[in-house]
Amino acid sequence: MIGKYPQIGRRPVARALALGAISAIGLAACGGTSSSSSATSAKRVTIAFISQGTSNSWAAQLDAVARKTANQLGVKLVYFNGQGNATTQLPEIPAAIAEHPDVIVLVPLGEAADTGPVERAMAAGIKVVLLDSTVNTTNYTSLINPDAATAAVPLAEWLAKKMNYKGNLLYAGGLPGNATTILYDKGFHSVMNKYPNIHIVNAGNTNYSISTAKQLAATAIASGRKFTGAWGVGGEAVTGIMLAYADSSIRPIPPVAGAAATNGTLRLAVQDNIQAAMLQFPPTDSQVAIQTAYKAALGQTVPKYINISTLPQYGDIFPPLNKYYKPQYSDDMYVGTNNVLTDSELSSLHLLK
Amino acid sequence: MSRDRFLSEPARIPKAEDAGGAGSARITGVPGPAEVAAPHRPSLADRVRRGRARVHPLPVALAALTVALVAVFEPRFYRPANLHVLMQQWSVLGLVTLGQLLVLLVAGIDLSVGAVMNATLIIIALMNGHSLLVVSLLLCLALGALVGVTNGVLVSVREVPPFAATLGMLAVIQGAILVYTKGIPAGNIPPSLRPVALSGVGIVPYSLIMCLGVAALLLFALRRGTYGRKIYAVGRSPEVARRAGISTIYVRVSAYMACGVLAAAAGIILSAYVGYVDPEIGGNYNLESIAAAVLGGVAFTGGEGGVTGALAGSLFLLALLNVATISSLNPFTQLIVQGVVMLIAVFLFQFLKKRTRT
Repeated sequence: MIGKYPQIGRRPVARALALGAISAIGLAACGGTSSSSSATSAKRVTIAFISQGTSNSWAAQLDAVARKTANQLGVKLVYFNGQGNATTQLPEIPAAIAEHPDVIVLVPLGEAADTGPVERAMAAGIKVVLLDSTVNTTNYTSLINPDAATAAVPLAEWLAKKMNYKGNLLYAGGLPGNATTILYDKGFHSVMNKYPNIHIVNAGNTNYSISTAKQLAATAIASGRKFTGAWGVGGEAVTGIMLAYADSSIRPIPPVAGAAATNGTLRLAVQDNIQAAMLQFPPTDSQVAIQTAYKAALGQTVPKYINISTLPQYGDIFPPLNKYYKPQYSDDMYVGTNNVLTDSELSSLHLLK
Repeated sequence: MSRDRFLSEPARIPKAEDAGGAGSARITGVPGPAEVAAPHRPSLADRVRRGRARVHPLPVALAALTVALVAVFEPRFYRPANLHVLMQQWSVLGLVTLGQLLVLLVAGIDLSVGAVMNATLIIIALMNGHSLLVVSLLLCLALGALVGVTNGVLVSVREVPPFAATLGMLAVIQGAILVYTKGIPAGNIPPSLRPVALSGVGIVPYSLIMCLGVAALLLFALRRGTYGRKIYAVGRSPEVARRAGISTIYVRVSAYMACGVLAAAAGIILSAYVGYVDPEIGGNYNLESIAAAVLGGVAFTGGEGGVTGALAGSLFLLALLNVATISSLNPFTQLIVQGVVMLIAVFLFQFLKKRTRT
């Protein structure tokens, strides 16, 4: 289990002031690797978890679920922090190999760069389970990933129907070159190519930033074009589009679709009466990854590919959205995380109001 | 010449390699204070006639040219709603660029402005509902000042290269945010803050009025005030400035401090504009503010550039992005077009600068 974070006072002013004071601790926590063991177990399986790392709410929830699952299984989890950066994450892989774990669970941030180290781990007899992204080889033990292209199709079909299959569609892209962005685009275009009367107006790449998405969407809306629908690649893009429309004078707000649903996007949709359809993609698939790694460590056969999009908690969600929105949770909670983490665990992650 | 006399003169201090800047004295050998003061500064019209005009008007001219071209090729640009959005965005980038200008003028660079903006948003969100809004805003500005002073001390007292010092500061701030928030920021942006960015006089948002007010103050300080002369003096030749009795440490630290405060102010306005807790809110502003300043004629080597250029550079950059967005160019094409236009602008600037000097 990962070491605990320092406890900070509850008063907001003190919290804010403490930002500076804990900066040194922050650097120490962000750099290098950290490890600790889980609860005791007769047969100790060691799993090296090379995570996306401390970078955003998605990764924080992914890590929390991985730690909890490892605890439940009595697994020794050795944590490696990718710090949300492919270059930073790369040297963590040989460092993990040097620990001689039974299995490595890797969230690949660099598809090409991580390929060689993954093959070296396999050659060293260490099983490798890939989570949420892949590498340029099939020489791994198991891949746990959504099928973004397939998942995008029903959402795009819903949007096209809402648009009566015609008009301008405001499109806010994701991160260029990112595997998930490419797959979402593939699914989206496979649908929209069928409807020539839908004109896609490309607002630009949001780089998975809410702020950028809002600025791009606001500019596109202010240009005077009338949009009959909007599509965002990633929850950030969807959120940015909703914020831009909410601040504009345009009513009713056209239907919005995309991925992935956070409690914040649901709040905006409910609050501003926006018809929206989103992919439910909680970062709880680390539970599946740790469980799969555990089975592999025990010598059990595991599937080469687990498509988490087929699991019930990863389905698409359509209006009415108020049945999914949970006002007691903060905006950053991905819909479905609350099915795995308890309220006290969510509270420790600032996800409970 | 006394120190006070030196500082009251409308002097421009040339760099050692400067072959003779317009309206400036040349330095030969070891200069003293008397050698760096020019007795007379000709009018702009006079300098234009003699082909010695300073290059600051270029970014303004580029922006004007862009405005004219856009009117022909993308008239939707001039819709009041679009201009309103552009002005909202300009007020943020403009403030950050003004801060970056001050640091660049003293031959520095600040890569921590984006992190300060992120921290600002976190503070506002954390304190929302727990204390008066004004308290959180003052705390944000104080944090910006503290970060700036630390950067300035590292650069000027400890002689850490500005790139390394401010990059390190970026890591410290981001690290602190992540450790504290665990990657999940809590809270909301207070609704009472939002009119700062969303409302205004006609289509002009209050945030832009604030930005232009700050610009006017800086313009006055840099052109007419003693402090401005010190900034240019330290940027163009720290050694000469030091011999003239200027505290280079004070000037540099104050420039970094102002940069930090302006970054915090920009963070406040951007938080008001976005209205959502996005912990990466300042992500692009490090490079964008530097690019805008350089486009506006500010030199990396210090002592060169001004407020109008920096503001025009930031407007030019945003107008380019705006036109690319409303034209619905393919995002990859957008990047190429933006890059090419920026390269042309910088090339033109350098070309005309050389011609002006010769």
